[in-house]
Amino acid sequence: MSETNRNRLLLAVALLLAAIYLFPLYWMYITALKTGSEMFRTPPSFWPDDPQWSIFPFVFQLKGMGLFLWNSTVIASGSVALIAVLGTGAAYVLARYRNVWVDVGLFLVLMLQVLPASLMITPIFVLFTLTGILDYPRMAVILAIAAKSMPFFIVLVRATFMSVPMELEEAALVDGNSRVGAFWSIVLPLARNGILVAAILIFMQAFGEFVYSKSLIQEIELQPSSVGLNAFMGPNTNEWNRIMAFASIYVTPILATFVLLQRRIVSGLTSGALK
Amino acid sequence: MRRLYSSLVDGRGFDLCLIGVPLVFLLLLSGVPLAYNVVMSFQAVDMFSLGSFVRPWVGFDNYRQLIAQPEFWPIMGHTATFLIASIAGQFLIGFALALFFWVNFPGASWLRGLFLVSWVMPGLVVGAVWNWLLSGDFGVFNFVLHQLHIISGNVFWRSDPAFALWSVVIANIWLGTSFNMIMLSVGLSSIPADLYEAAELDGAGALFRFWTITLPMMRSTIGALISLGLIFTLQQFDLFAAITAGGPNNASNVAQYWAWDLSFKQYDFAKGAAISVIMIAVVMVASVYYVRSTRHEVRG
Amino acid sequence: MTTQIEFSGVNKHYGAYHALKDINLSIDQGSFVALVGPSGCGKSTLLRSLAGLEKITGGDISIAGEVVTKLPPRKRDVAMVFQSYALYPHMTVEENLTYSLRVHGVAKAERKKAAAEVATTTGLTGLLHRYPRELSGGQRQRVAMSRAIIRNPKAFLFDEPLSNLDAALRVHMRKEIRALHDRLGATSVYVTHDQIEAMTMADHVVVLRAGAIEQQGHPLDLYDKPANKFVAGFIGSPAMNFLPATVIEGGAVTIDLGAGPIGLSIPVAAPVGARILLGIRPEHLTLTAPGEGRFDAPVAFTESTGSTTFVTTATTPEMMVVETGRRMVASGDRVGLAFADTSVHVFDAETERRL
Repeated sequence: MSETNRNRLLLAVALLLAAIYLFPLYWMYITALKTGSEMFRTPPSFWPDDPQWSIFPFVFQLKGMGLFLWNSTVIASGSVALIAVLGTGAAYVLARYRNVWVDVGLFLVLMLQVLPASLMITPIFVLFTLTGILDYPRMAVILAIAAKSMPFFIVLVRATFMSVPMELEEAALVDGNSRVGAFWSIVLPLARNGILVAAILIFMQAFGEFVYSKSLIQEIELQPSSVGLNAFMGPNTNEWNRIMAFASIYVTPILATFVLLQRRIVSGLTSGALK
Repeated sequence: MRRLYSSLVDGRGFDLCLIGVPLVFLLLLSGVPLAYNVVMSFQAVDMFSLGSFVRPWVGFDNYRQLIAQPEFWPIMGHTATFLIASIAGQFLIGFALALFFWVNFPGASWLRGLFLVSWVMPGLVVGAVWNWLLSGDFGVFNFVLHQLHIISGNVFWRSDPAFALWSVVIANIWLGTSFNMIMLSVGLSSIPADLYEAAELDGAGALFRFWTITLPMMRSTIGALISLGLIFTLQQFDLFAAITAGGPNNASNVAQYWAWDLSFKQYDFAKGAAISVIMIAVVMVASVYYVRSTRHEVRG
Repeated sequence: MTTQIEFSGVNKHYGAYHALKDINLSIDQGSFVALVGPSGCGKSTLLRSLAGLEKITGGDISIAGEVVTKLPPRKRDVAMVFQSYALYPHMTVEENLTYSLRVHGVAKAERKKAAAEVATTTGLTGLLHRYPRELSGGQRQRVAMSRAIIRNPKAFLFDEPLSNLDAALRVHMRKEIRALHDRLGATSVYVTHDQIEAMTMADHVVVLRAGAIEQQGHPLDLYDKPANKFVAGFIGSPAMNFLPATVIEGGAVTIDLGAGPIGLSIPVAAPVGARILLGIRPEHLTLTAPGEGRFDAPVAFTESTGSTTFVTTATTPEMMVVETGRRMVASGDRVGLAFADTSVHVFDAETERRL
């Protein structure tokens, strides 16, 4: 078999595998476009007879998704900002030195990374009630997410900082810059891509966060989309086309960002998580 | 004052400041809750004492009552099943896909990356989609299985106690397979090609090379990945919330969902704390292994 | 001449590891000093301590009369060329060159002018708007040098700047760096593990081993009068031959090369019975017909570069002889070895010090 034929065959198999794997996503979009009766047809149709494009604005209005998405954005942005500001410095110090204290710090960070949110939420809820932070529910969620996701950010960004040669910073020091100046003008610009990728990953995570938001935010007008979607799915719902429309509106921005920045995100993720 | 300033700008103070602030933040928001959780698990906590620090001390009562509950052992069993089945499924399918995409062809790395969308999607959306896919009467999953002659009648994945847990397992395998696959791909591509060339010259066949070179060289990747899988799987909450909510009758309930259910549905914060303490201890053991697997790093 | 750099009693500990042991060294204004030694000897640590990149744990360092021990690098006014060049990858050549000027608040127009000037002297004109990744190894090296020159600092520090270049370019850059040093009248401290670089470039060579100075002085003094066996073996290439010997009556010694004792009449300032080492450089040995030299030895093998022949003897310890031109000796031949008494270095076998 020639090289090109082999490649074509492999590509065809790969496309088939991807199609099977990504079928649930396809089904989400297709279901959203089906009418109520077509949705429950047997055998199911794999292409909508009469695509209901109007379902997207309809569900958006019906469920007040503008507010939900806005809250998700506020929570995700707040978390990313807090994590990036605090986590970048920690990652830098943990990358730059190799001694017992750094090992201890790294160990603590990795340990904190593994705590399941659904187990931590009980004490966090009680403590936030006691300290009054719960009066600002979105703030409370941002703080909780920041504590939860910062270790992951630190691990990823630390890997980026480790790939910036130490001599560059030293050269800047000898050239007359202070530690602060060298960090800003040399180290940060060189680590920018890695930090950006980690921030995007954190944003995606926080944008979909559910446990903390569900537990800490009672007011419906402050809840993010994940909680909204959960409320939409009652135990015996049959509004699947609307639910799938909600889900589609919710995830499409995330999917679009991911597909656009796929290469960078994948390489950023793989350089940090396991090495 | 001058000394402090110059230390902040030129010396140790700069590092201490950069690491100190986040550490204090993490201690306050993770360390303190962690410790407080342990304290709470030994107290009697109800809706009225929620707002005060001083609560009656009950010793191991919460734990005793928890274990005495008839659902305790079944839920622990479900947790173990969920963990083992999810990790095994994610890992094996992920490894198979990674091996396939290891063969280089145009577009391989882009397509491979595309799989990761399952991992970046909000867990609740994944849950919602699978909830619909696994629907008993109208679910497309049943339809496909039926067409393939694997099942004859419809399986009520979410409401049949025999299958409820497995519906979450299936969704979780789908969600995590891509992450496993990407990480294993990285591990595979980091094995130097000349090792295989040398083995081939030594007369080793493909399967033999896989056992004697690929697997041993991947050991630390696999170790880290399995422990990461354990950590991620124990964190999985959204799928339960979106697919079965632990039902029917706790048939698909697991520890991490139960802890939340006890605290926020039954307002039994003390028992919620007690189950959290137990599970966090389990996670800690897993993470020690993870940390050890990630130790072999070199400065780039 | 005035002293530009002074190390007095400098010590450096990394935990229990003693990296620099009581270093005393003064460097004259305008001189070119090479710090040389095997890897791990502390030469780079010493240089980095001078730059302020390492904190010393004892003693003082002063530059141009000012004690800088506690000052951060930016207040020391020294320039450094790194082994990896440490060019800022996200900046053009011009931005790399003028980074220090920018830090010190020099106006943009002036910076551009300075960069253009330096670029002319180092042959970088036309490359100013490229990024480091678009340059060859030699060009990067020049950028690193130029970045140091542009500042007119109190001292230039070089940390093995040529080790990433190929052999031909290295020889060329050796001359260029030295010429630049002379033209600028600068004070340079140059770290290298290559004794040839140290010998050919420096006015003053400091040999370090295990964190301590073994010997310092003019390069030829080190060659002619090594203070101990280590320096004798380190300076000069190929390395000096060392023959264990015992002092006997009447200004003579016996050596044993594996085929029984051989008596040699060499005046040695040591008591009878003392165990010593005779050091003879390969280039100071000459081959003769058997029986016509000081003693005979069988040949193990010969290597010839065309202009020079290296002959290794089948003795214990083996000896190397360097002969110019080609010598037709083959493995197994017996040859005589001749040398002048004045070319023999004598060391105590126990302390390894020069006698």
